[in-house]
Amino acid sequence: MTLADIANLVVAAVLLAGIYAVMSVGMTVIYGVMKIVNLAHAGFMMLGAYIALEFFERLHLDPILAALATFPIMVIVGGFVHFTLVRWLPRSDQPTLPSLLLMFGLWLVLQNLGYLIWGNTDRSIFTPRTFDVIHLGPVVIPTIRLYVFIAGLGCVLLLEALLNWTWFGRALRALVQNPYAGRIVGIDDEKIAGLTFGLGIGFAGLAGALLASLYSFNPDFGRPFLIRAFVIIVLGGLESVSGVAIGALVLALVETFTIIWLPAGYQLAISFGLLVLVLIVLPGGIASLLGRVRRLA
Amino acid sequence: MKSRSLRWQFLLPAILLAGLLVLPEVGLSPNALRLLFVSFVWIIASLAWNLLGGYAGQVSFGFAVFNGIGAYVAAMLIDNGRLHPYLAFLAAGVAAAIASVLIGLPTFRLRGPYFAIATIGVSEAIRVVATNVDFTGGASGYRITESRQFNQLEHYYCAMFVAAVAVATTYLISRHKFGLGLMAINQDEDAAADSGVNPFAYKLKAHAIAAFFTGIAGGLFARYAAYIHPNGVFGFHNSVQILLMPVIGGLGTVWGPVLGGVVVGVIEEEIVAYFPQAHLLIYGGLLIIIVLFEPGGIVGGLRRLARWIRRVLERGPGTPAADTPSEQADEVLWGTGSGPGR
Amino acid sequence: MNKLTKFFGGLAAVRDVSFEVRRGQIFGFIGPNGAGKTTLFSMIAGAQKPTSGQIICRGKDVTGLRSFRLIHEGIARTHQVVRPFRNMTVLENVEVGAYFGRQGADHKSVPEKAMEILRSVGLQDYADTPAYVLSVGNHKKLEVARALATGPEILLCDEICGGLTHAETAAMLELLRQIRDRGVTILYVEHDVKAITAICDRILVLNYGQKLAEDTPEQVQLDPAVIEAYLGVAPKGWDNA
Repeated sequence: MTLADIANLVVAAVLLAGIYAVMSVGMTVIYGVMKIVNLAHAGFMMLGAYIALEFFERLHLDPILAALATFPIMVIVGGFVHFTLVRWLPRSDQPTLPSLLLMFGLWLVLQNLGYLIWGNTDRSIFTPRTFDVIHLGPVVIPTIRLYVFIAGLGCVLLLEALLNWTWFGRALRALVQNPYAGRIVGIDDEKIAGLTFGLGIGFAGLAGALLASLYSFNPDFGRPFLIRAFVIIVLGGLESVSGVAIGALVLALVETFTIIWLPAGYQLAISFGLLVLVLIVLPGGIASLLGRVRRLA
Repeated sequence: MKSRSLRWQFLLPAILLAGLLVLPEVGLSPNALRLLFVSFVWIIASLAWNLLGGYAGQVSFGFAVFNGIGAYVAAMLIDNGRLHPYLAFLAAGVAAAIASVLIGLPTFRLRGPYFAIATIGVSEAIRVVATNVDFTGGASGYRITESRQFNQLEHYYCAMFVAAVAVATTYLISRHKFGLGLMAINQDEDAAADSGVNPFAYKLKAHAIAAFFTGIAGGLFARYAAYIHPNGVFGFHNSVQILLMPVIGGLGTVWGPVLGGVVVGVIEEEIVAYFPQAHLLIYGGLLIIIVLFEPGGIVGGLRRLARWIRRVLERGPGTPAADTPSEQADEVLWGTGSGPGR
Repeated sequence: MNKLTKFFGGLAAVRDVSFEVRRGQIFGFIGPNGAGKTTLFSMIAGAQKPTSGQIICRGKDVTGLRSFRLIHEGIARTHQVVRPFRNMTVLENVEVGAYFGRQGADHKSVPEKAMEILRSVGLQDYADTPAYVLSVGNHKKLEVARALATGPEILLCDEICGGLTHAETAAMLELLRQIRDRGVTILYVEHDVKAITAICDRILVLNYGQKLAEDTPEQVQLDPAVIEAYLGVAPKGWDNA
């Protein structure tokens, strides 16, 4: 394998990591504040993909713009779901069984809605640009992947900014660290929870919409991504955006490089095997290792 | 414990069992027999899952893997008469149990939802492997050829027998040390350990027993259908259905999974007839409604109804809405929620 | 003979703490907040592993064993923040201890044994109520009952009087005395200095993770270093709460 090949693979992995990060950030944020593991994440990704498809086909919007437009819609959807269903769940510091089952039921409902509204044939978003490539020396980059990466990265950075520089972000981080203390100092945790949930769903939808430009999809397409999101979160630790970025990168690298030796069908099994390995060696995920390093320093 | 109700407790199931034993003699259409057979198989899996998910509180979304392993092991052993079917079923159960230990060793380090998602991953990974590997027939599946003739009655009685054993096992577990340990783990795993329970070992044991029964269920079905393929037996929808039944019927109870199995069986039949597209919608909707309004499932709902009736009879109109503490003792093992139904 | 619990250094929270406990003693631990009492306790109870040092019980090294294995060595604990099995009945809570404790009883004898223990702590009327309805005082009693059901030789009490009224504290201390009279050694962490001085045979004072003093209650209260570190210890003597 030549250096150019390796460079290509690394670049491909980084681009992939970008979108994996977008996908996982939504789950992380919801988990951090509400301790809810969002199994319906895959369903919302699917919804986002289809909404972007509608924008593309009916309004002839550029796929990336369509994805960005999907974001606010999904945030509203998320807020609505929170208001009607999620806020009735028992409150806890730990993930609860009812929350798990509720989100799972929601996922089933979303899938079925997807089938009812859009049918179960594969759809995809094609533009003349889909096959363009850019050459950076020996490295070949499909432009669509680059745009997706940039859009995704931009949104994740905006999220970081939001978390660190706005009142909402601060309130959110406070609730992640200590919900009781947060409530005592006056944070309206119901409202923040609703906004957070909306935000998380927004990112899920955004991820789905971005993926729609890269792959074909049908209402069931969420499941492998759900598993990947989970792997990333466990790898990267559940409570920080940077952790997610690291986890996404690791997973993307592993996936990209193992394709050389194994048929694509086994990819999921590999990702999963990686997870199991990490869990056996480091029950806290890679982030716990980093935490240890930081503490020693 | 409570002995006056003991006789009642055994009377109804005994009648039910007798009825089911006799039913085919009375005359049942082949379709009805098929329906009952399939119900029994699902009830076995439902009871099995309930041991781990209902009593011990470890929710697995990947029980299809045991269904599949059981199906394939049984299929390959029964094919061309290599082994007597009943022994093959046992082997299927044992194979699934062994797999459950291998799966449980890494995954039981996780708690709650992480464990749940991990089980999805394991199940999917194995499904993918089964689809790509040759000696199981790969994606085109596996066909069983048996020299004995197809005897629907035999399948019916086999499944019924195993289902009855599963019910009995659940009952025994719930009344003895093992069940208490599982419930303690469900309530508070660390406090259970501090009281002498070995959580990891117990989880593995419960998992193994559950996998054993699920594997047999898979085997029973495989023999009946005579043809299996990976997306069918390892499919995620199986995991969904298996967990749905105890949740709908009542987690952590003996008859909840059975009722849940019946309800889901009926839904399956009716949906296929009238609303083939609304499958997941109905299941998802049911799940949501149950979580928010009646976490105890059907059994929980019936118990509440019974309590309400009893109270109305005792005191007449103007009864208070809340349950007294000893009545609350009948509630199933969920956290106190603040759902809209309360 | 003696039940030695020799224990050396630990995490940064606890440094080079050593002591010995004789069988049948009530051995107390006090210290300001952050002194490391909880960490010390969790190391003995099996919740955490010491970085270095040993815990020896009856001549056997039990350092680092998980809590359920410690039960089989005869070491049981109560929790500072009560952790009952909330949706199980009070009786069932105690039954868990009885089933999984050292003697490992069987199906027939466990309910009786559990009821007996409930009677000894005064919770027999609550046997069939779910654990979550209990008051704080009763929750603490349940903690003790469940731990007792495992048949321990050493009982670790973690702030068992926390949140109790004066009267309840007195009752709890009396209960602890009864338990000791039955032959159980008690290691007792507490914030309430009066309670500890009233009941313990020996007290170990911790400060900033290190042993400040170890002696009888009277001596400890007179120790100037202790007085300095732990303002509020009455220098004039002690009273029976």
